[in-house]
Amino acid sequence: MSGSSNLDREDVLKIARLARLELDEAEVALYQDRLGRVLEYVRELNQVKTEKAATVKHVPRDAVSIREDRAIEFTDREALLRNAPAQIEEHFLVPTVIEQN
Amino acid sequence: MQLKEFTIERVIAGYRKQEFSPSELATSYLDAIEEQNGRLGAFLQVDRDLVLAQAAALDSRRQEVNKLPLFGVPIAIKDNFLVKNWQATAGSKILKGYVSPYTATCVEKLESAGAIIIGKTNLDEFAMGSSTENSAYFPAKNPWDTSRVTGGSSGGSASAVAAALAVGSLGSDTGGSIRQPARLCGIVGLKPTYGRVSRYGIIAFASSLDQVGPFGRTVQDVASLLEVISGYDRNDATSSRAIVPHYSDHLKGATLKNVRVGIARDWLEGVDGEVRKSFDEAVKLMIKDGAKIVDISLPHSRYALSTYYIIAPCEASSNLARYDGIHSGFRAEGVTDLDSVYFKSRGQGFGAEVKLRIMLGTYALSAGYYDAFYGKANEVRKLIQQDFLTAYEDCDCIVMPTSPSTAFKFGEKAADPIKMYTSDICTLPVSLAGLPALSVPCGLDSQGLPIGLQFIGKHFEESHLLKVAHKYELERGEFPLPAGVDY
Repeated sequence: MSGSSNLDREDVLKIARLARLELDEAEVALYQDRLGRVLEYVRELNQVKTEKAATVKHVPRDAVSIREDRAIEFTDREALLRNAPAQIEEHFLVPTVIEQN
Repeated sequence: MQLKEFTIERVIAGYRKQEFSPSELATSYLDAIEEQNGRLGAFLQVDRDLVLAQAAALDSRRQEVNKLPLFGVPIAIKDNFLVKNWQATAGSKILKGYVSPYTATCVEKLESAGAIIIGKTNLDEFAMGSSTENSAYFPAKNPWDTSRVTGGSSGGSASAVAAALAVGSLGSDTGGSIRQPARLCGIVGLKPTYGRVSRYGIIAFASSLDQVGPFGRTVQDVASLLEVISGYDRNDATSSRAIVPHYSDHLKGATLKNVRVGIARDWLEGVDGEVRKSFDEAVKLMIKDGAKIVDISLPHSRYALSTYYIIAPCEASSNLARYDGIHSGFRAEGVTDLDSVYFKSRGQGFGAEVKLRIMLGTYALSAGYYDAFYGKANEVRKLIQQDFLTAYEDCDCIVMPTSPSTAFKFGEKAADPIKMYTSDICTLPVSLAGLPALSVPCGLDSQGLPIGLQFIGKHFEESHLLKVAHKYELERGEFPLPAGVDY
């Protein structure tokens, strides 16, 4: 279990882009190393024969029942809005997303 | 009054004898927390007004002590649970200042049973960690030795109970986050069967693994808390309708006679010498009391670490996509457009370990990799579970150490993720299989640090599991408190 050779800098930047995370240069190097180490480690699963898995039931999940899919109204709008970093009247406030002009 | 003496039973007895009122008891706990929290870092929020308002309401309902199982019992709650009007930061800067708009079902149940919510406890950010060093605020410290970690991620909840700053507490366990800190802090911690306790109102980490559970000084206390918080909840589609037994009543007359206890020998390799010795002594005690030891095999559990570190990050990357810098919590400064709100707020708001796991999950779920990672890991997960079900054909419960070594020093494992992840090597397979398990203290090492024994049960058979653990606990005798806890 060594090394980070299996991911290059561009891979890390691509993953960060998909995850909507801005990273500084030091972080790119850090994650290149750490992601590489973990991915190298978990590669051991490739050697596990899993054909029999198809016949196994997941017990706790099977114990779970299905209910009617019905929405319940949450009326405390204030409580939700006050947690937003920026709000105006009854709305979340975001920077302009449509180009002006 | 001596806080170190209190279990749930003793608090209730104190109220019955009118030795103190809920307000007096709550004030004593608040004072102790104020004095000790600087040393221990167990709590992220203690709000005197919110606590005393709950206690005052109970002062005028004193006659209900005979009806409410947790009347006036101070309980601490991990800060990834929503409790209306309290903060819920999940130990993250991205949720700094977030005030819960509603209360988690399990906490509502505690409140209905008369409990006093005494404070919100420290944790690894978004419950990702094994030491509480990943808290964005400050690390929680182990009451047995404050130069050492509490374990994690529910380190604050474990530290609070071990240091007698709460009678009991709640935590969440995704891969060992209740059992491992309980073990490192020398108390009892239970992860129930997946689906036993509603997850509604818990900040999600890995939804197919997350489970709520109690900490206490004794198995009896943990049983009393479990019977209050368990049960079906329409707000959690994965909560079970299985009936909730009176776990605490069932402990009476518990016996180990003819109980078949499974041990997986290959799991004991690589366990520290002192931990192994303590484990062997605990097993001897159980045999003396009539238990029958059965050798079992859990061959796929050796892949639990890899399986977990694919499944949990995949689910986390999806669950944590909701933190966008718009709806709640933190937004970075100097953002000019929507993309920069997302990228900068998430980049600055999440800590290093959380970003690592989000990226691991994002990578594993990205086009072309899904089957090779998430698909494969879910297949191995089923095989890990099947090994347990096969083992249970020959035994009634399984014992193994809760974790391979005692509490480590701050920073000791921080640089290498795999080294840190192996702290949970004994708890991860159980989480992947969705089984109930609890950690009970079974000894101290030569440095005076607690060692824990993990009891693992069958799905939804917490009742039997608690009985076995309770009987072991009686045979073991009283477990000491950390030296500094003398109040």
